[in-house]
Order: sequence, then C-alpha cells, then structure tokens
Amino acid sequence: MTPLCLMEKVHKSFRMGEESVEVLKGIDLTIERGEICAIMGVSGSGKSTLMNLIGCLDVPTSGRYRFAEREVLGLADDELSEIRNAHIGFVFQSFYLLPYATVLENVLLPSLYRESVKDNARERAMELLRLIGLGERLRFRPNRLSGGEQQRVAICRALMNDPELLLADEPTGQLDSRTAAEIMNLLVAMNGRGKTVVIVTHDPAIAAYAKRIIRIRDGVIVDGQAD
Amino acid sequence: MDRLIRILAQSLRAVLALKLRSFFCALSIAIGISAITIIVAATEGAYQKVFEIVETFGPDAIFIVGGSEQSRGLGQREKTLTLADAEAIRAAFATAYRVVPMSALRDVIVSYKGNRYTAPVVGSTSDYSRSWSWPVVEGSDLTEDDLRRLANVALLGHETMRELFGDEDPVGKTILVRQIPVQVVGVLLERGAAQGGGNIDNRVVMPLTTVMKKLQNEAKYISFLRVRFEDQENLDRRMEELKAFLRARHRVPEGEPDDFQIFSPKDIIKFLVALTGSLVAFVGIVGIISLIVAGFVLANLFHLSVRERTGEIGIRRSVGAKKRDILFQFLGEALIITTAGGLCGFLMGLAAAKLLQYVEEFPIHFTWKAFAVGLLLSWLVGIVFGLRPASQAANLEPIEAVRGAL
Repeated sequence: MTPLCLMEKVHKSFRMGEESVEVLKGIDLTIERGEICAIMGVSGSGKSTLMNLIGCLDVPTSGRYRFAEREVLGLADDELSEIRNAHIGFVFQSFYLLPYATVLENVLLPSLYRESVKDNARERAMELLRLIGLGERLRFRPNRLSGGEQQRVAICRALMNDPELLLADEPTGQLDSRTAAEIMNLLVAMNGRGKTVVIVTHDPAIAAYAKRIIRIRDGVIVDGQAD
Repeated sequence: MDRLIRILAQSLRAVLALKLRSFFCALSIAIGISAITIIVAATEGAYQKVFEIVETFGPDAIFIVGGSEQSRGLGQREKTLTLADAEAIRAAFATAYRVVPMSALRDVIVSYKGNRYTAPVVGSTSDYSRSWSWPVVEGSDLTEDDLRRLANVALLGHETMRELFGDEDPVGKTILVRQIPVQVVGVLLERGAAQGGGNIDNRVVMPLTTVMKKLQNEAKYISFLRVRFEDQENLDRRMEELKAFLRARHRVPEGEPDDFQIFSPKDIIKFLVALTGSLVAFVGIVGIISLIVAGFVLANLFHLSVRERTGEIGIRRSVGAKKRDILFQFLGEALIITTAGGLCGFLMGLAAAKLLQYVEEFPIHFTWKAFAVGLLLSWLVGIVFGLRPASQAANLEPIEAVRGAL
C-alpha cells in the first residue's frame, strides 16, 4: 500500500514584509496508513507549519507532497478544501466548537460541505456521539460541557466524514491530566479502528502514546523520519 | 443548490444566535425602508388622487371662484361673480358647452323630525349630476322646472342623508333648511371622505334660484362658475381668454389683481403634486440617508463580527468549506437581516401612513410596488454593504483563521 503522506524535500517560506523567512528547510517525511505518530518540537521549530502542510491547510513553497495519491502542490483552494473535507479530521487545542450551535450541529458541520450528501448524516452524528458517551447531550450548547466533553465533541466532528487521517494539534493542551489521558486513549482507540493519527505536541507524556515520534528542530526533522 | 440551502441555513442560525447584531442592523434598515415605503405609496396615492380628481372635476372644466386671492387668504368671501357673468360667458364663448353658476352657504342648519345637522348648501342649476359626473343614486336630479318655479327641493349628500334619516327612505320627505320646508328629491352617490381633501358627502344641493332668493336674499351675485369647453385641447388659451373677459367685465384696472380666482385641471394637478412633492422630497432624503447609514451600520457590525468569528471561519475552512461557502454564508446573513429589516420597515411604513392619514387627509396608496421597492432596496443594501466584510471573511487564510481564534 502507498503511504498516506509522502513529503520529499519540502520547503516552506513565509514573506515577512520585504524578507522571506524559511520555516521548513527540506522535510522528507512518510506517514503510512494506519499509523499513529507524534510530531514534537518546541515552539518556533516549524511543527505547526508542518502540521498545516500535512493537513492541506497550506501548500509547500517547493518540494513534493503526495497526500492520498494526489500531488498537493499546485492544487487550487477549492480542491484543498475538498481534500480536507473528505480525508482529514482536525482536532484543535481550543476545540473550536461553534458557540451558538448545539453539540449535534457542531458534529454535523463537515457534512454540510460534502460534495455528495448522504442523507444518513444525522444518524451517523448521533451514533458517534452515543459511542463517545455524549448521546444524552445532543441539544446542549458547548458552553454547558466540560473541557473534556467539548474535546470529545470535536473528535466526533473530526470523524464525521469518516476521514483517513486524524490530525490533532495539542489536543490536550487545555485539559487536566486525567481528562488528557481519556482523550489520548480515545485517539489511540480510533487508531485501533484503522484511522491514521498524527498528534502535534510539545509534551513528551502525550507523545508517548504514539508508536513513532518525529522530532523537528529549526525546520528540519532530526529524528524519526524513517523507521 | 442543496449546498447553498445548507449554507443559508447556517446563515439563519448565525443571524438568530447573534441577536444584538441582527437587531441593530435590521432596525436601521427598517427605518430607511419605512420612509421609502411611504414615499412610494404617497407618490402612487398622489397620482391616483390627481387622476380621480381630474376625472371628477372634468378634464375639460375651468372653475372660477369669486373674490380675489388675498381676500380668500384672509378667509373672507367677497362676491364678485354674477349671474350676468355666466350669461355673458355663455354668449361669448362658442365652445363653452356648459356654464354652471353656483352659490354656496356654509354651516346651514338642516333638520328632519328631531335630527339636526349642519351642512353646506350648494345652489346649482339643473342637471347637477351630469355637470359634476356625480350620480344620483336614489330619486331624481333637479330639473329646469324646479329652477323656474324656485322650488323647495333638495338633493342630499350621502352623509347628510344618513345623519337625518338613518335607515329611513328620504325621497319625498320634507326637511327644514333654515326653517324653510324643503322636499328631498334625490340622494347623491357616496364619494368617500378623502375626495380632494375634506368631506364633500355632507352637502345639500338645491336649485340656484331658490338658494339665492330664499336663503341668501340675493338677486345678482353667485359664488362659483364652472365652465366646460368642447375644445379641451385649447383649455390653456380658453382660460387666458376667460380671465381677460372677466377682468374687462368687472372693470379691473390694469395692474390690479384679479377679483376672482380661476382654476384649470392642471392647477389641481400642480397643487396636489406640490403638496405631495414636498413631503416626498423630505421623506425621500431622510429615507435615503437612513438607508446609507443603515448600510454603514451593517458593514461595520459585520466587519466586527468577521473579526470576532475568525475561529468559526477557520474551523469551517478546516472541515472543508470553500471560499464561496463562507462568502455565501456571510452574504446570506446580511440578506436575511436586511430582508427582515425591509419587511419590518414596510409594516412600519404602513403604520406611519395610517397615522399620516389620520392627522391629515393625505393620499397614500399601497400596492405591491411599495412592497417590491422596499424589498429590492433592502437586498441592495445587504449586498452592497455586506459584500466587503463577506469577502474579507472568505479570503481569510485557513491557517490564519485557525491560529487567530484565541
């Protein structure tokens, strides 16, 4: 089987006024399907930029990036949106639930932007929430839930379109350690069900849940780029 | 299409959630639209009214009132027109096919049994109905014979009839007009209160000769003259001729003002258009200014909203929303709000119009046009002023949006 993500000599620069700053300086990275790995690095190391590229939120300045058999470099904004919608589920540090929408509506969000609508979206969303133990809170607003519950809702949302990749950016950054463990176990369980899971973190305890740790420093991978 | 509907459902959700923003945007739009609604309705009302009045008045008729403009302005009514003037006009103008002299008395007490009512009495020649295109709905019109005999007969306006007789049939009954017994021969069609400003359904019409001799003790002077011309296309010229003719007959010296006032259908149109025009201009300016202000209120509140909701935009983009999905969502929000504002504005306009009509008889006529103009303008404001913040939202880079939330 081909890898899910395949990066070769990926560079990424940002324009800062007149100057151009190179944040990623030649990344070679392979993420296999069904893998669970962590990307570790201090802030400013380029790990967030790497995550954005993996998640097709942004495109490399140069190099090659194949995601799910498609060359990402040169894709139009709309096509990137379609890839994110169909293949990637994001979990963010601060949950990013819509405050005015109910739990169920939040989980349904990715289904709104699907190219072809399956009419069982509601059932699937409710099933996901039931599995995760929030079946009774469908009509709640996010602000009535605890942090851990909110992150579980966010994970349901990430799973909504049945993506291949779960991309979690500091998923436990705002949770206490007990809740953090629950969330991590949930992500590991999802990996057990066949999802590829990538966790971006600076916390070794969190990275320890992954089978592989990719360390990034100053825009280059220093450890774990190949098994 | 399905996708658009789903996006617009999201817009509606946000509009309902962000109540304060929606309320202020909608309110400011509503104020502008209500003013615009009134204008459109007033313009239409004015045209309709002018059309009706000219139709009633007779598009070929010239109306002459005795007394100079100054004296009327002071509320006096000098008598300067005479029966002889009417005869002379009839003789001098070949195309004047009907010359109707009239007298009028204000506030005459009329009574029937115990019912008393104060009404204006109009003295007219025969065929009142035909000269004024005003049908007699019960009984019959005044006749030549009535005029010759100085008959004590009367036509009643609808309101006077109702006040005196209630449900009783008035035709053939005898009423008292200033203690003189007068027989009711007919009832005029109800014209409605707003006709030409003021009530005209309360009049009592009697033969001119009877009114002059028995009520006014007057042998010579009359109050009004109405002249209808066959050659309607020359009405302006005829009017000038009439003016010169009457000035000559009344021996008004050169340079002195007319001792009478003369009106053509055009003057009535001018008067009404001027009356409505000034209000339309005022309300129109207010309406347009408030719509522009509303637009800026909307643009600013949306601009703030986009900044506040950067995280929402980020998460939507990360789960696969395209730029145009975000654009449509925010434009949809603007349009939903302005539509709601427009509808409220229309209702406010309706209410304000009712109030205006209550305060003063003002021709206002609501049709689908006022509604359509209001709705289109609110959409226009929504699109014009919503587009910038919406495209600003759509063009946020996903990575910026995701990062910029907290």
